[in-house]
Amino acid sequence: MSAETPTPPDAGGPMLKLEGVCKRFGKLEVLRGVDLELRRGEVVCVLGPSGSGKSTLLRCINLLEPPEEGRIMLEGTEITGEGMKDGVDFVRQRVGMVFQSFNLFPHKCARDNVSLAQVKVLDRGQAEADEKAESLLRRVGLSAKLDEYPDRLSGGQQQRVAIARALAMDPHVMLFDEVTSALDPELVKEVLDVMRELAEEGMTMIVVTHEIGFAREVGTRVVFMDAGVVIESGPPAEVLDNPKHERTRRFLGLVLEH
Amino acid sequence: MNFIVDYYFDFTGTVFTDGNFDAILSGFWITIKLSIISGILGLTWGLILAVLRQLPGRPLAPVRWLAIGYIDVFRGIPLLLVLLLISGISVFGAPIGGEVLPKSIASPTWFGQTSPFWYGVFGLTITYGAYMAEVYRAGIESVPGGQMEAARSLGMSHGQAMRFVIVPQAVRRVIPPLLNDFIALMKDTSLVSVLGAVEVVQAGRDIQSETYNGTGLVMGAILFLIVTIPLARLVDYLIAREQRRVGRSGGSDDGGGEEVASDPALVGGGGMTA
Repeated sequence: MSAETPTPPDAGGPMLKLEGVCKRFGKLEVLRGVDLELRRGEVVCVLGPSGSGKSTLLRCINLLEPPEEGRIMLEGTEITGEGMKDGVDFVRQRVGMVFQSFNLFPHKCARDNVSLAQVKVLDRGQAEADEKAESLLRRVGLSAKLDEYPDRLSGGQQQRVAIARALAMDPHVMLFDEVTSALDPELVKEVLDVMRELAEEGMTMIVVTHEIGFAREVGTRVVFMDAGVVIESGPPAEVLDNPKHERTRRFLGLVLEH
Repeated sequence: MNFIVDYYFDFTGTVFTDGNFDAILSGFWITIKLSIISGILGLTWGLILAVLRQLPGRPLAPVRWLAIGYIDVFRGIPLLLVLLLISGISVFGAPIGGEVLPKSIASPTWFGQTSPFWYGVFGLTITYGAYMAEVYRAGIESVPGGQMEAARSLGMSHGQAMRFVIVPQAVRRVIPPLLNDFIALMKDTSLVSVLGAVEVVQAGRDIQSETYNGTGLVMGAILFLIVTIPLARLVDYLIAREQRRVGRSGGSDDGGGEEVASDPALVGGGGMTA
């Protein structure tokens, strides 16, 4: 995978940089000035209570929800403000996203789910796109399910198809929005395993999750968010075992209690 | 009670004599042609209206308002009135339309059909286009928002997402309510008789006034039922099949079918036209 990702000219600088990103829904301030920097190959796990703005942060990064204030730079190019018009295409060609609710296309089989956007957006030939789809589905352990429709797949299988679908666009960064939260407990591992493999291969990832174990083992950094701001950020061992901030401690206490 | 049987069910004396049955059949053939041509044109016009109504962005707001205004107007006035307004332009209103429009358009006789036939097609199309636009819209809106987001996050444009992801899902869901609308349209073709088209109801009335007997109309009703009852059963079957499909994928978030089942525009599409 990493071999297929072209190296941008500014390989030395940050992959993704957020400065003071704010987002409001009406009067509700969901993000109140978020700063975040991501280097190539980093796996940043974002933790925090529900309503803290984690998902909105991801949706701002790929401009599904354009931020009202602040700047987002992707590979050295600003995608917000003036750059916004072309920013949408720029960011969506480089950033893949996986959703909590899978959002597979129910009228397409697994293979077509993965090949559709390759053909329509990247202008790949159908045969080439299908080949890529099949090899990605094999990688996520679904070589036997190429022709199955989403309603015949388990949640874990659907989510793995969704990951393959995002990877098919050769993204430089992958965003994971609570991708295991809608899954039955016994199906969580198969999805996390795929993500772990991806991380080991060097993919740059932002993972919004409640899986503390995953954050500890796979994350290169853990970010704790509350009420629309980053409360603390650092290596997993530091933030998870030795949190500086009272709110982080309280949250981890509640999550790790049982 | 004998007079009821005599008046409504005298098939041998009223229908199967003097070529009356042939007259009813050719009337029904006009009904079928009116239904199919107006149905196809209405489906197309409705889809155009629905897409215009869904266009994104502020600059296109006037287009959306025009589409909404059109739909509101034609959903809100009786089809009979629309038909009378259209036909009035050249049949009764002397040469108002005839002076401005060429005769082939003001009094069309295309493909060997009469002008009242084409007035009927026009009135049914512009009215049912408005009904069907609402069905399409309900179908488009019943596709979960996550579908558009997923398509957009893969780099598709709004148009690509509509064309390859949203509309294909919406169309499958709207087939049953569109068929319901088609049944209603078929029954409403009888209104075209007031313009002078001899469709099956007019054919029955002609026989009624000649023979002082209503059996010709009953024969027309029977012909309607032969077509509409199987269509209604087909609608039931398609709805049941769709619900089974949704039930199977129940747990996942991309079903969204329950919204369809509870959406009045999708379930009883033909209701307000009766």
